[in-house]
Amino acid sequence: MDQQKVLVALEDVSTYFTVSGGMLRGKRTVKAVDGVSLEIREGETLGLVGESGCGKSTLGRTIVRLNEPTAGRILFEGKDVTELKGEALAQFRRETQMIFQDPYASLDPRMTIGEIIREPMVIHGLYGTEKQREEKVVELLQTVGLKPDHIRRYPHEFSGGQRQRISIARTLALQPKFIICDEPISALDVSIQAQIINILKRIQRETGIAYLFIAHDLSMVKHISHRIAVMYLGHIVEVGESDTIYRTPMHPYTKALLSAIPIPDPIRGKNRHRIPLGGEIPSPIDPPAGCPFCTRCPDAEERCFTQRPQLSQRGDRAVACFALEE
Amino acid sequence: MDKIIDVEKLSVTFPTEQGRVQAVRDVSFHVNEGEILGIVGESGSGKSVSMYSLMGLLPGTAEISCERMEFEGKDINVCHFPDGKEYAAVMEGIRGNRMAMIFQDPMTFLNPTMKIGRQICEPILNHTGLSKEEARNKALELMAMVGIPSPETRIDQYPFEFSGGMRQRIIIAIALANQPRLIIADEPTTALDVTIQAQVLELIKYVKDTMNSSVILITHDLGVVASLCDRINIMYGGKIVETGTDREIFYEPNHPYTKGLLSCICNPEEDDRELTPIPGSPPDLLMPPAGCPFVDRCGEAMKICKLRMPEAETLSPTHRSMCWLNEWKKRQEK
Amino acid sequence: MTEQQIPVDRIPDELFQKLDDSEKNNEFLAMESKTYVQDAWNHFKKNKLALISLLFLAVMVVLAIIVPMVSPYTYDGQDLSLRNAMPGLDHLLGTDKFGRDILVRLMYGARISLSVGFAAAVINLCIGVVYGGICGYFGGKLDMVLMRIADIIYSIPSMLYVIMVMLIFGSNIFSVLLAISVSGWIGMARQVRTQVMSLKEREYAQAARVMGASHKRILFQHLIVNSMGPIIVNTTLMVPEAIFTEAFLAFVGVGISIPQSSWGTMANEARSLIQTYPIQMLWPVLAISLTMLSLNFIGDGLNEALDPRKH
Repeated sequence: MDQQKVLVALEDVSTYFTVSGGMLRGKRTVKAVDGVSLEIREGETLGLVGESGCGKSTLGRTIVRLNEPTAGRILFEGKDVTELKGEALAQFRRETQMIFQDPYASLDPRMTIGEIIREPMVIHGLYGTEKQREEKVVELLQTVGLKPDHIRRYPHEFSGGQRQRISIARTLALQPKFIICDEPISALDVSIQAQIINILKRIQRETGIAYLFIAHDLSMVKHISHRIAVMYLGHIVEVGESDTIYRTPMHPYTKALLSAIPIPDPIRGKNRHRIPLGGEIPSPIDPPAGCPFCTRCPDAEERCFTQRPQLSQRGDRAVACFALEE
Repeated sequence: MDKIIDVEKLSVTFPTEQGRVQAVRDVSFHVNEGEILGIVGESGSGKSVSMYSLMGLLPGTAEISCERMEFEGKDINVCHFPDGKEYAAVMEGIRGNRMAMIFQDPMTFLNPTMKIGRQICEPILNHTGLSKEEARNKALELMAMVGIPSPETRIDQYPFEFSGGMRQRIIIAIALANQPRLIIADEPTTALDVTIQAQVLELIKYVKDTMNSSVILITHDLGVVASLCDRINIMYGGKIVETGTDREIFYEPNHPYTKGLLSCICNPEEDDRELTPIPGSPPDLLMPPAGCPFVDRCGEAMKICKLRMPEAETLSPTHRSMCWLNEWKKRQEK
Repeated sequence: MTEQQIPVDRIPDELFQKLDDSEKNNEFLAMESKTYVQDAWNHFKKNKLALISLLFLAVMVVLAIIVPMVSPYTYDGQDLSLRNAMPGLDHLLGTDKFGRDILVRLMYGARISLSVGFAAAVINLCIGVVYGGICGYFGGKLDMVLMRIADIIYSIPSMLYVIMVMLIFGSNIFSVLLAISVSGWIGMARQVRTQVMSLKEREYAQAARVMGASHKRILFQHLIVNSMGPIIVNTTLMVPEAIFTEAFLAFVGVGISIPQSSWGTMANEARSLIQTYPIQMLWPVLAISLTMLSLNFIGDGLNEALDPRKH
């Protein structure tokens, strides 16, 4: 893995939003993403896991410039994404794509499937003639397991899983190097989730594409990710190879997240010890002064409430926790 | 063990502009006293519709046919009540009292403009002779029981002041108000984060144990089912294709759909194994196939599967499965 | 089907052969493919009132074109020997105080009223969609400035515009159109703005952005196309409004110039005879009210047919 080139590098990226906090309180800042540094290498999948409100989707959207970062740099192949203009920006738009969570909202309801998949080609003037484009659309439909005669159908005629596959076909039309998958399977039925995971994996094998795979729990992520980053309240708390994270989670939040996955096995599932995690995620409007996890952490010490632990290398992974520093 | 719910040959059809959607087709099931029954199926498999018909909560356009539907030995089969008012009166006495429901999305169930204290008190006042004062105390007790911190202050707050997990707890408190014999939970944790989901599941189990009620848990998550349920019904295309105890379903699955489901989910404790997805998409209930609804996605489908729905094969006193493969195996043995 | 009834143990063994993958159809699409327009039309057809209204309007348009062409009379041809005639075989709707044929004048008026109505609606549609679309899509300061300008235009009484336009360009059909359009597009702009504002957060619009689509493409190919339902309904309802404004202007004497006829001028001329020949008033009033009523019914029907929430 190490010899692979870094494709996307996030350096201390923060994304803040201003919201009005009610009549008398004036404007307040939501620190959705707060000082995140991450690397995504060519051809790998980085799983980004966290509960709702942890800033994982905002981070994904910041990378593709749907949100502008407040601070920090996002480097794509060494170039700062936020400074791209003109042809360079167009090229960046070709090379990074995004798959959205809700397959019912991410396809324009007034367009046929053919038009939807053809659109990126039209925007970037790829595949010259109409006939070549038509052929490419058919080829892409087959790649995701749909039939060529679906081309003149409308999105509402398809099931959720089929629509998500259409979404994938659309992103592939540009032959991108990097796709951000923003919870692409969490709205789908179990029997369909595995289909999507397998399609994404097959495409990665064939084309060497890199994914940032965003998910809200750790259960399916393992099957697609080479490395996993766990996010909590705008911060990365643990990053490492996916096997390492699953076998020996170190951060107390990662441990709790893993133990909360219900095991599909009646005997072990019923006798399993869960790490009880009280309370809920604090509001990103006023996060705890110290460690973001201190309010729910079973082993929080005094300094966790005042100082913020930094993400630092611990053997084969990086963790942000004081208890592991000794 | 006594049966608290006993349903035989229930079918529900919705007439729509496109045609008749046969959401539930000829389904029989029961719930024993004090057990948790899991109903697993994907969206559109009829799992919610069949439970809503128990509660009498289906829209008026739904066409229901049923041979028997009994709750605590009492007839609640809508087909036996030619007079709609009489049925409504019977159900009113049961709903929110002997039988309660926990919904998937708490926000659609809670009234956003009403203090939650009043919303918890409502079923108590409707079904018992308690005074307002007593009902309020009961509500405080319930809130403490479901784990809402400082109930005295929170009882006078509005739903929007609570987080998703807390709202789900309130829903549970409302459901528990009159110590129901049966709680129907429709995907109670789907909208919640994993760590909160774990809390809510523990709570449902705790509540069931302390009140000795029965629970029907509707879900698509096999992990949730495994860690909570005693018996499981697997639904597909409006039919219960397999039913059995938790161990029978997970360790000796018989129906190819059940097997397929088990092989396409992830077990965090197991080492990496390739996921084997079920190919294709669920059938359309507008034109359900004459045979087995799973035939087009089944790896072992035979000619007969397209032509005729298999009968339920009894594998053990608790384990039944609807699949032609069982008949085929018998013939191979001969 | 016999397979449904025979006992299980008598089902022939060959039916227990495995199915080939090609015999399965697991990417199954149930519904007949229907386009948006077909679907909307199917729903519209069910609304009888709207359908009758559409028919009425179509007949009105056809008559407005044909009647003045085939009739032996012209809109300004006077026959002083036959003044204020009651409806009869020669003059189906009678004649007015100058002996002009009322039917021809009414249909000539229909040409003017309907074309003013539709032209005004189209003008307002074009300006309103572009203006509102830009405001809603870009938002922020641009939106604020543009919408305040629109508010100012809207706050000035429309009569003032009419008088100004008539002073500068004189009384003719184009000044009427111009006067109606000065502030008529603002309602449309506001509606398009709210539509676009909510639609631009949809994931398909965001997906288009990530794909690198230009602002123009996202706005017109995705957002406006998806707001088409309410836009069409609003346009339909704008037609009767314009027809009524034109009639009103003509009635108070600032519309098109005589001897041309519009429903408003006819009503104006009939006013003096309302005591003696009330029937002359009846025709233009009937034409105005029925046209407006049917356009409103059509608008209602379209509203139901185009609203995705209703089906």
